[in-house]
Amino acid sequence: MTAALHVRDLLLTRESRGQRFELHVAALDLVAGEVLAVLGPNGAGKSTLLRALAGLDTPAAGVVECAAEGPVTMVFQRPIAFAGSVQHNVRIALRARGLERAEIQRRCETALERFGIGQLAGRRAAALSGGELRRLALARAFALEPAVLLLDEPFDDLDAAARERLSRDLRQAVALTGVAAAVVSHDLRRAALVCDRIAVLLGGRLRQLGPREEVLARPADAAVARLVGMGNLLPATLASDGFAAVDATHRIPNSSALPPGTAVFVGLRPEHVKVDIGRGEGEPIGKARVVEHTSDSVLTTLVVEWGGHSLRTHLVAGRGLARELRVGDTVSLSLRPEDVHVLPRDEDSR
Amino acid sequence: MSELAAAGLLEITLRTLGVCLGALVIALLLGVPAGIWLGRRQFPGRRALLGVVNSGMGAPPVVVGLVVAQLFFRSGPLGDLELWYSLHAMVTAQVLIALPLVVALVVAAVAALDEDWEHQLRTLGVPTHWRIWLLLREIRLGLLAAVIAALGGILSEVGAVMQTGGNLEGETRVLTTAILMYTRMGLFESAYALAAVLLGLMLVLAGTLTWVQYGERR
Repeated sequence: MTAALHVRDLLLTRESRGQRFELHVAALDLVAGEVLAVLGPNGAGKSTLLRALAGLDTPAAGVVECAAEGPVTMVFQRPIAFAGSVQHNVRIALRARGLERAEIQRRCETALERFGIGQLAGRRAAALSGGELRRLALARAFALEPAVLLLDEPFDDLDAAARERLSRDLRQAVALTGVAAAVVSHDLRRAALVCDRIAVLLGGRLRQLGPREEVLARPADAAVARLVGMGNLLPATLASDGFAAVDATHRIPNSSALPPGTAVFVGLRPEHVKVDIGRGEGEPIGKARVVEHTSDSVLTTLVVEWGGHSLRTHLVAGRGLARELRVGDTVSLSLRPEDVHVLPRDEDSR
Repeated sequence: MSELAAAGLLEITLRTLGVCLGALVIALLLGVPAGIWLGRRQFPGRRALLGVVNSGMGAPPVVVGLVVAQLFFRSGPLGDLELWYSLHAMVTAQVLIALPLVVALVVAAVAALDEDWEHQLRTLGVPTHWRIWLLLREIRLGLLAAVIAALGGILSEVGAVMQTGGNLEGETRVLTTAILMYTRMGLFESAYALAAVLLGLMLVLAGTLTWVQYGERR
């Protein structure tokens, strides 16, 4: 793992309409060939962080240091098209670096082809569609052969299919070039398409940083859990027999090392709550009643009532139980203890 | 038309063009950088400054003429320069009339750019002098609008030019002041001939710029 960009003890301050905002990041590294997703709600400081990494804003304290050879470049949330052709847009940055004409042409063609817009090279950049413009902005950035690439909400305003195609191309480009990339997003499902690691920003603080799977399965606290899609958070008390008691009759198996009697949240990702008519996969936790059934034609989301709590679960839409179940049906719930994440329940994490 | 020989017409026309284009170039040299600066930078008092510029667009030329005339008047602060009733004084008045138009239209063009426009160039490593060139290219339609507006303002201007130039034959007489003079004298034929030339100039200059502007939009 080669860190291409180091951040240490970073402090950024911003004043807006009498409100002071501070962003603290103790330590953060961007690693070559890897994509870091910076997740957070609006106003968490994601774009502020990205601008500081790009050198656009000067920190009040701390260090942002590029350790790799090559430029640090950024693609903005609203991709910018400069006057002139698509090709001219890519060449602007290359000419500024004093490259030879043949090298400029080679890089320009490679970058445009990589993002599937080679056939648009001669078109006016201002006439591109939103998706094409995003591809141009990425091609322009990759043509520079940067050491670090910072992307602010790169999948905004794209439909699901375009998002999927762009994320695939982006992943391939990162793998091929070995660039260290950071993707800012407020939407986990968009960021998860491309990232290897996740950094969660909340209220100007870096609350969790780790490999994608770890952050998704083991969020540091309830606020992070909600942000990373752990949609089921049940208040419970740890019992001594390896269960967490939601109430006298509803218990959830887990492998927490916290002492019995600890007030906790039991966190369950919707995809880990198994629903079945008979006995389900994993350990059964009891019967529940379907109270909501919605579908976006890809995923069906069921909300079931279990022990006075609402639990969400996802099924693949259009087949099996997703087609059979109706509101009011009774189902069996089960889960695997290793999928259950137990979080200490202090006042801050509510 | 007999009062106005062809040679005189040519001389007046060339002088008009010289004064107007001179004033236009100076107004652009001063107004474009000022407009870019005002459009891109945030600082205390910016809004007030924009207010001054915007009110400058509506300033009556006769008032501008009055101020410039007093400046260059023999007993005025710049009287020693002996520029009263000179082409320099006329150009000065026209620059002051055109400047707010240029600044305001450039500010509007620059402010319409995405706030990250310059940041994007910076993160692509584009150096400052090149960023300025790209900015001018980016706001070229706004610049053309500024040129058309400024040219229209100064080419048709008569009050301030009369006050500062005095319509001296062979020295400061331009198309507008000559038209005014011939109208007062009742020599409408000559006045119409000059008016036709003035209109022709306006049409050719503004038409050319509009054609360029329209071509850019396609």
